[in-house]
Amino acid sequence: MTVEAVLDAVVKALKGLVDEYAVIVVDGYESMIKFYQRGVSVVQSWRHREIGVYAAIGRKMGMVWVDAEDPEKAVTEAVEAVKHSGDSPLYAPLPEPSGEPLSSVDVKLKEAASSGEVSFIVEDLELEETRGKAAGMVKVEYNKVHLITSAGADLDYEYTSFNGYARFFEGRDASGQWSWTSTRYDLAAAKRAIGQARELAAECAKLPREKLEPGEYRVLLSPMIAGNLVEEVVMAANAGAVLFGFSFFHDKKPGDLVASENLTIIDKPRDMELPEARGFDDEGVATRDKTIIERGMLKSFLHNTKTAKLMNAESTGNAGWLLPRPFNVEVAPGDLSPEEMLEALRDGVYITNNWYTRFQNHLEGTFSTVSRDAVFIVKGGKPVACTHRVRIADSMPRILKNIEALGRQQWPIQWWEVRHPTRIPFILLSSARLTTAE
Amino acid sequence: MRWDSDFLSMLVEKMASVGASYAEARLHSIRGLDVVVMNGMVVSVGRESVEGVALRAVVGGGLGFASSPLSAGREGAEEAAGRAIASARAASLSPDTISMAPARLGRARVEASERIPIDSVSVEDKISRLLEAYKSLEAPEGLKLQNVVIHYSEAVERKIIVTSDGALIETYTPRVAVFYNITAKGGGRTANRWFQLGGTGGLELLDEFKFEETMKDDVESLAVNLLKASPPPRGVMDVVLSPELSGIIAHEAAGHPSEADRVLGREAAQAGMSFRSWMKEGQIGSEYATVIDDPTIPGSYGFYLYDDEGVPARARKLYDKGRLAELLHNRETAAVYGVESNAAARARDYKSEPIVRMANTYIAPGDYSFEELLEDVKEGVYIKKYMEWNIDDVRWGQRYVGLEAYIIKNGRLAEPVRDVAIELTTKTLFSSIDAAAKDLKFYAGTCGKGEPAQGIPVWMGGPHIRLRRVKVG
Repeated sequence: MTVEAVLDAVVKALKGLVDEYAVIVVDGYESMIKFYQRGVSVVQSWRHREIGVYAAIGRKMGMVWVDAEDPEKAVTEAVEAVKHSGDSPLYAPLPEPSGEPLSSVDVKLKEAASSGEVSFIVEDLELEETRGKAAGMVKVEYNKVHLITSAGADLDYEYTSFNGYARFFEGRDASGQWSWTSTRYDLAAAKRAIGQARELAAECAKLPREKLEPGEYRVLLSPMIAGNLVEEVVMAANAGAVLFGFSFFHDKKPGDLVASENLTIIDKPRDMELPEARGFDDEGVATRDKTIIERGMLKSFLHNTKTAKLMNAESTGNAGWLLPRPFNVEVAPGDLSPEEMLEALRDGVYITNNWYTRFQNHLEGTFSTVSRDAVFIVKGGKPVACTHRVRIADSMPRILKNIEALGRQQWPIQWWEVRHPTRIPFILLSSARLTTAE
Repeated sequence: MRWDSDFLSMLVEKMASVGASYAEARLHSIRGLDVVVMNGMVVSVGRESVEGVALRAVVGGGLGFASSPLSAGREGAEEAAGRAIASARAASLSPDTISMAPARLGRARVEASERIPIDSVSVEDKISRLLEAYKSLEAPEGLKLQNVVIHYSEAVERKIIVTSDGALIETYTPRVAVFYNITAKGGGRTANRWFQLGGTGGLELLDEFKFEETMKDDVESLAVNLLKASPPPRGVMDVVLSPELSGIIAHEAAGHPSEADRVLGREAAQAGMSFRSWMKEGQIGSEYATVIDDPTIPGSYGFYLYDDEGVPARARKLYDKGRLAELLHNRETAAVYGVESNAAARARDYKSEPIVRMANTYIAPGDYSFEELLEDVKEGVYIKKYMEWNIDDVRWGQRYVGLEAYIIKNGRLAEPVRDVAIELTTKTLFSSIDAAAKDLKFYAGTCGKGEPAQGIPVWMGGPHIRLRRVKVG
């Protein structure tokens, strides 16, 4: 059954059953090479053929995702559940379509993903050379996305992505990790990221070990950890997080000062170099680049038509049928080179990567996150020792206000702890509270 | 040909015929219902059917995985067999020289018990129960409930697993879960409590969860935190932890570091490694530090009797009276260690490779009562519930922050304190336990690991435990 036939069958089944519908079919392939010190652990290859349906009966709303053999039957049965729902406080009619097809396809990636033939990547990246030294992942993806809505949208687009990361080790206590992401087979970006990871591990290994005493420090964040923390900020600016009680911007409104004037964050679905680029959202609304925080001021929450109606705003073209979502994230650059960032740090701590960010209080933004990989103790602008596994235990509003400077080079980051493609520079904090376990 | 074990056997034979030294096919279907209710109104109803075929093949020491959804038809599944082989060949360019340890493989059908079948109750009745739970919430004086979101989730999982060396397993596993987030304002501050309940079985679980009661109790906890609690104490003191805390500790500081794939570094760039990569044996804690992972607990969220490689499940003792004991293995890691798999291979869905996972991990109970644990604490703190927690990538340094906590003075609970933090190493934590209560209790969680990330249902449990002289704050 072709995708077009699936769409026709599902739409036909929905007509008469529901008042409004939107149908998305994601059709494509994805391959991933996962490697570690002992070699390539696995190569995975996925066939995607997922059918999503949004259905509204009056103000009752339902969502269905199926990859069943008989999608028409599965959708028909599933939509039955919507009849038994209740009037939703989030309901808003599906909007008139305004989006446009906007594709970004690298033929080489499309062929690799579709066939599962990714041997050339193992060779191009010289993964065999990393044996015994590094772990990581490389992924290629091709998908075609079709959207039909009862409000008249009939749109599709295609995209490819090339994304990965490497973590190098020098002994037990020195490691470095970096990632890259692109819509193209950007071998240079991949090699640059792998080189960064290797360099961080080597630099840490060269330096003496020093235990960090808990306290407040000036802190330099690499694009890896900065990307993770900015993702939390973007999440807090999602109207869905505000409504569901997970946002430290819950009592803020556009125009409020929420960060240092050095910080500008943009959602950029029109950045065709990053894999979440698209011309329309899941409601068929045209996407647009938008500033979330502009020079420290909260400029816009992310909305679909539903959250926009409830919060008296306009859709920002970020649907999500139920809740909005970001696409590509960008943090505007500053004007310092990496060396100048270290000089600006003077005496402090340079954290290169983190994971496990968890909130004690989502609404007040108190949280902690644990560093992994190299953490440099810097004195007089020079790394003098390496430590590891320190924790930032602070509050997000305070961290945002303490942004003192940003690097001028932006890095395209995407990995386990930075789910959305994020173009981001180094970020310098004038103060953050650091702790260690005893 | 139907979607059955014969079809899977054909796929396995197809992969074996073109050079796979090991081949495996899994038909994996999850059909679920989700209902989200916010402040007494239904936000949405969702249905999901995640159904497809997962295939693995070992060629030339390289491991390949491929999947295809049922919506791509049988041709899609057969094409996936080709991609599994191509993937394995790509892996063999820099191979990990993978082999599967010999195992006593099952040929069995397992149906988890379901007293009230999930489909026997209408969607309306399920929704009604959530709405009633919301209505029954009352905010104590001085507290305002800002937002209450309840998420009901049910899923029926069916699997057929066939391997080239003889496993044939069919399973039927229904699961029910309730998640909620309560946001409250009081005393000029705002706080939230997120919580999850889950188990394997039918709708009888909703009665067992008593989620209406846990929600009320959590409103009280928020009131304590916002209206009554003082800033936390600092210094070295005795700490008593509730089963909610000992459960997450069992999972994070004993379960994860005992995953053999993590110890070998297979997850090094994702979920990290383990201190057990270099601390192979020896003492990690006191005689009360016994931690067990057991998939066979009936009704548990992490229940299974055969793992996703067809190996029969059993309880695994990870820490035994303070000594490092078993690792969790699948057949791949068991081959590296020259041991038998202890059936820890789990895959979230057909899009996921089976990797080493926990099931239901708990600190073994002792013989004290809760009151006896408090009795000879002159000055300390009792942490009852937490919100923030995390642990480093080798599972050594960890932090837990209390949502509801109390000062202990002369053997009795005294005034409440908020946001009490303990941050300590795994060895300090387990070595500091000098007593455990009898009151073993389990909590549900969704454990994350793998690339792409696979969230799987687990239980985490333990009794009240007492830590002597640890740093607080």
